[in-house]
This record gives sequence, structure tokens and C-alpha cells, in this order.
Amino acid sequence: MPLTYIDIEKQKTWRIGVFFLILLFMYFCVTLALFYGVLLFIFPFHFIKSGSLMTGNPIHLLVIFLFSLAIAAMHFWFSASGAVQSVIKNLGAMAPDPEDGMHRRLMDVMNEIHVVTGDKRKMECRVIPSLSMNAIAVSDLKGNSAIAITEGLLSRLTRSQTEAVMAHEAYHILSGDCMEATVATSIFGMYAAMIEKLQNLGEDDRRGLHPAFFMFWILLKLSQLLSMFISREREYRADAASVRMTRNPLSLAEALHMISRNWRGAGPIGLGLEMLCIMNPRENMLDESEGFWANLMSTHPPIKKRIDVLLGMVRSSIADLEAREDRETKKVSSFADADPHYYAFGPDKQWKGPLPVAGLAALPWFSPLTWVSSGPGKVVQRASDDAVVSRILNERPDLTGGEVMSLKCPICRQFLFGIPYEKTKVNQCRYCGGILVENSKIPRIIARREKEFGERVKSLAKAMINDNQRRLSIKKLTGADSKAKPHLNCPRCLNTMMRTFYSLAYLVEIDRCGLCNLTWFDKDELEMLQCLIENRITATIGLGGD
Amino acid sequence: MIIFWICIGSIILLLFWVIFIYNALVALRNEVKNAWKQIDVQLKRRHDLIPNLVSVVKAYMQHERDTFEKVTLARSKALSAAGVHEKALAENSLTQALHGLFAVIENYPVLRSNENAMHLQEELTTTENRIAFSRQLYNDLAANLATKIEIFPNNIVASLFSFSKAEFFTADEADRILPSAETGIRIK
Repeated sequence: MPLTYIDIEKQKTWRIGVFFLILLFMYFCVTLALFYGVLLFIFPFHFIKSGSLMTGNPIHLLVIFLFSLAIAAMHFWFSASGAVQSVIKNLGAMAPDPEDGMHRRLMDVMNEIHVVTGDKRKMECRVIPSLSMNAIAVSDLKGNSAIAITEGLLSRLTRSQTEAVMAHEAYHILSGDCMEATVATSIFGMYAAMIEKLQNLGEDDRRGLHPAFFMFWILLKLSQLLSMFISREREYRADAASVRMTRNPLSLAEALHMISRNWRGAGPIGLGLEMLCIMNPRENMLDESEGFWANLMSTHPPIKKRIDVLLGMVRSSIADLEAREDRETKKVSSFADADPHYYAFGPDKQWKGPLPVAGLAALPWFSPLTWVSSGPGKVVQRASDDAVVSRILNERPDLTGGEVMSLKCPICRQFLFGIPYEKTKVNQCRYCGGILVENSKIPRIIARREKEFGERVKSLAKAMINDNQRRLSIKKLTGADSKAKPHLNCPRCLNTMMRTFYSLAYLVEIDRCGLCNLTWFDKDELEMLQCLIENRITATIGLGGD
Repeated sequence: MIIFWICIGSIILLLFWVIFIYNALVALRNEVKNAWKQIDVQLKRRHDLIPNLVSVVKAYMQHERDTFEKVTLARSKALSAAGVHEKALAENSLTQALHGLFAVIENYPVLRSNENAMHLQEELTTTENRIAFSRQLYNDLAANLATKIEIFPNNIVASLFSFSKAEFFTADEADRILPSAETGIRIK
């Protein structure tokens, strides 16, 4: 029995040899067919005279074999050695952003995994900007390896759950499980993509079968057969290894349970990558059943069994787990109510708010003498007299000093302030309350659910989406916008920003600069967008209007 | 004559066998040493971070002077500790003191919205985890070494070249008792 991760058993990598042979055979057939085709085209009479195509000269065959060997070797080398880069690129995964709280935590967790495994192998972490919940491990023949996790999953996991998931993926890399899958994906992934395209074409305009289609079909079946090689046992082993690294079966069980109850990204995580994921992105009946055929064909074991094994270690059950999850969501929402929000009386004789304490401190005119109140009907008093607010007065100078951005608000023409928002950083205007966000940060802001929305934002969002739906309908019918506002200029490049809706389902009006990849949300619009997506609010009026 | 050669052959075989075991033991001992160094690296990181955290948090929590003093005291004890056993004791009490501080921080909403404090807390959390993990690795390797030294043919070679078992980095019996208001931290 191995005692440490250093002597983890190596999985056999002979399957990679099998891939190479399949590849070689394919190229051999293609070259052979081409060779005889060309011969037939150039010397048609020679073949008619001899009467047979199959007068295979051994020298010819040898040359063809060597040629196909060379091509197959080149193909194998190029796709297998750069596999990590190409898979990462296909997924659109990015390096974590050290400015971002969540990403920093991910990097820290990755370092901890390096410590627990004795720093035997360099693993990188990547973040996939997707709302789905999954994690994936890739490694290639050159020794590069990476673990990618989606923004959706990263945002919902606690620290110890993240650790359990990362440890699970790290085991796949250390044991070499994921090497064969990565190599297979990068060798055959090219064909899989082509087949998908061809299938789409076929549905659209032609009913007939393309001659090339048959060959691709065979290849598709071949790559599906690959999953037979991949044993589902290794998921159990990776779960066990994760528990041995983190000594925390409960967190892994919770994480798996959470992933199984959510969208796992069947669309974006493409064909052939399923076997690299912590859980199969597709809903698959085969995965959830047992028996000889299921064991042979499926890449992941039944999720319930995986969770049961883990919970068995802590003498718990799925019912307990679900009860605890429900309790925790309740606790979080009651906690959000307790978090104090304040209104402050500004120099323009207007109440400003509700703001969290940190937001209050960042108000440019905020002073110890400002009148504050924690809500309508509550006591109004000087900031210095309020127990909670007075604490922030000491801290304020360096807060405003350090965080003034170089960009200006496109409406008020004042400098924007960098504020923390859902664990990342956005630029907010103190005067109009609008928010400027880099496009790359929007998916993660939407994925994160730290912020709780009050009734105010919810009803605002509902009213706005109905209003915008009506406007869109009128615009479609009459061709004129009833409420056109002047266009804004991009704070960075000063070109006109494009006015558009976030999406046709979530009709939040945004201004976007395509050159700088910046998006401007007017006051509350970002909150409203988040609120719409989280609560799945859609317009209640149809296209015709009411 | 044949007997002579058989003797010579078996002596050479025996020699190779001893060399093989000796080398394996040396490799393992060095791995254990390296793992110990890794713990040291992480401990140093923790000791460097603590004053920063204390100075940031202090401004907000005038009433929690006790908690700070515990942390600072435990830190200075840990800094001066030497040897596996003593270090383990001092670090364990420091861990307890830090957990007390974290619990207090959780009660201050102002601190939770302070980016600097949260950043430091995350740094310390990751350091705590790294310490736990490097300790886990060290203990695994130390157990490995102990087994290798004690099993039968190896124990002869080990005693011949005086290999010794590495000490485990464990908590003392007294530290296993949950900290309470009366006992506070125990430093021996």
C-alpha cells in the first residue's frame, strides 16, 4: 500500500500506443487509396491491360507505409505535445486574475495542492468563463498539465470544497489518467469537430450522403469506442485520493452533490472532453446505471454511489446533506438581512443610499458630520455618533486615495472609483452610480451570488424588463425607438459606445465599447441584470404588447 | 575451490544487497529532511504575516486586546522554539490563538468589508492549510521511514549505520483538549 502521493501507482499508458496505431492505419488507408487513384488517373491503360488494381508492388506498399508513418508521427507529435494548450484554448479558459478575490483564493488552493503532493509536478490552474459547473484536468506528453474550473463552480464552492475538487483533479494528473484522454481528444477532436459541422450542414440543405461523411462516421464511432478504454473505477480512486489529501470527505461529497444538481455545461465542453471532467457534462442514463455494459461504455460512475461512498466515511447520508444545505441557504439569507445598509444626507439635500458601510466611506463628501440613517423610519444621527459607521472614519483617507481610477464616468465626466463587487473589482461613478466593467468580468459577476437583492431591485428589474420588452416590440413594429437616449463615449478610447441589450432574454440596456471590451451599466442596471438571471425573471408581456 | 567461489559470490551479493538497502534508506531520510524544511518555509511565512494582520485588525477591535496578546505571545514562543517536538508544541498553540482571532474577526462586519483585512485573512488561511499539508506530508514520510527501518532485513542495515527514526510532528496530549476561557493557551 502506498503511503504518500509520491508513490502513487502509475496508470498504464499503453493506450496511447493504441491511438497511434489507429492513426497510422487511417493514414495508411488514405494514402493507399490516393496512390492508386493517382495511378489510375495517369496510366489508365496500364491497369486496363493488366486487368487488376491489386497488383501491389511490395516496394510501393513500403513507400506508402513509410509515408503514412511520417504523417501519422507528425500529426501525433503536433497534437499530443501541445494538447494542453489546444484544449485550454478550445475551452476559452484564462489564467486567474490576481486582482480578483475568488481567483486569488483559487491560486492559493492550487499552491496548497502542490504542497500536499510534495511538489512533484507543476500544475497550472485556469478559469473557464462559463456559468456551468464543472472542473476538468488535462495533461500531455510534454509534461504540461492544467486544471480548469468554471466560474460557475468556483463561485458556488466554499474554500474547503474547492480544495476537495482541485485535489480530485490533481490526482488525475499525478496518476496519468488524464494524459491518454487528453491525447485522444487532441488527436481525434479535429475530426469530431468536422463531423459535427457536417451533420449540421446535412440537416440544413442536403438530404444526400456526402462520400466523405462515411469515413468521418467511422472515425466518430472509433473515438466513441475510446471511452471503453477509460475505466470508471478511476473516478472512485480520484475521490479516494482527494479525501486522503484533504482529509475531508464531507466537502467533496457536498461539492459533488452541488454539481449534480446544476447545469454541467453540456454545450460548451465539447465532444470527447467529457471523460476529463469531474462529472459528465451530459445527462447520461448509462452513467447512472450499473452492470457489465454500463461499466464498459461509461466513463463516470453513478453519482449517488460516489456520494454514498464519501458520506459513508463520515457516517452521514444524502438526506442529512440536503437538510444541511437547506439550512445553510436560510442562514445566508437571514445574514444578508442583518448586514446594515445606510442612507446618507448629501450636500445636494438628497438622501443617498442604501449603501453598505464601505460604500458610505467612499462617498466623496462623507465626513464625521454627515447625517446618516440605517433606513426609513430609523434614527437619524451624525456619522461620528453611529457605532458602526464611526469605525470606518479612521480608515477612510487611504481608501479614497488609493482607488481613484484613471477612467472617467461617461455621463458625469468625473473620475471613477474602483470598488470591490462580488469579490472582483469594478469601477463605479460616485455621482450617477453607474458601473464600468471589463467584459471578461461580467460572466463571473453573474455567476457569483454573494450579493443579495432587496425588493427594491427586484421590482425595479421587473418593471424595467417589461418596459424594455414593450419598447422592443414597438421598435420592431414601427421601426422607431420611443425612448432614444444620447449615445455615450467610451471612457478609454472616446469612440461612441454601442447601445444594446445584454441578451434578448434579459433585456437590460447596456453600452458597450467593442474596441476596449468595456461595458457601462447605468445605476442599478448591473444589480438588476444579476437579479433577473438569479431569479429567472422574464418579461410578462408578449411580443404584441398589452 | 568451488566452495571458495561460492563464498566470494555470496559475499559480493550480500554487499550489493546492503548497498541497495543503505541507498534506499538514505534517499528516504533525505526526503524526510526536505519535507521538514518545507514545514519550516511555511512556518516562516506564517510568522511574517501575523504582525501585518494584527496591525490592520487592531484599529477596529480595541476590546479584543486579550486575543492579540495571545497571538503575539504565541508567535514569539514559536519563533524561539527549536527541535521537532518543541516546535510542534509552540506552533499548535499559535494555531489555536489564530483560530480565536479568526472567530473574533467573523463578528466584525466592518472588517469583513475591509478588503485589506480579508486579503490578509485569506493569506493566513492558505498558510495555515499549507502548514497542515506539509505536516501531513512530513508525517507520511516519517512513517514510511520508520517502517523501512523497522522491517526485518532492513533493521540490521539500519542499526549498522545508525539510522534513526524521524520524530512525528504531532499535537501534545494537553493541546488536544479544546481551548476554553479558563485554560486559554497552554505552553510548556
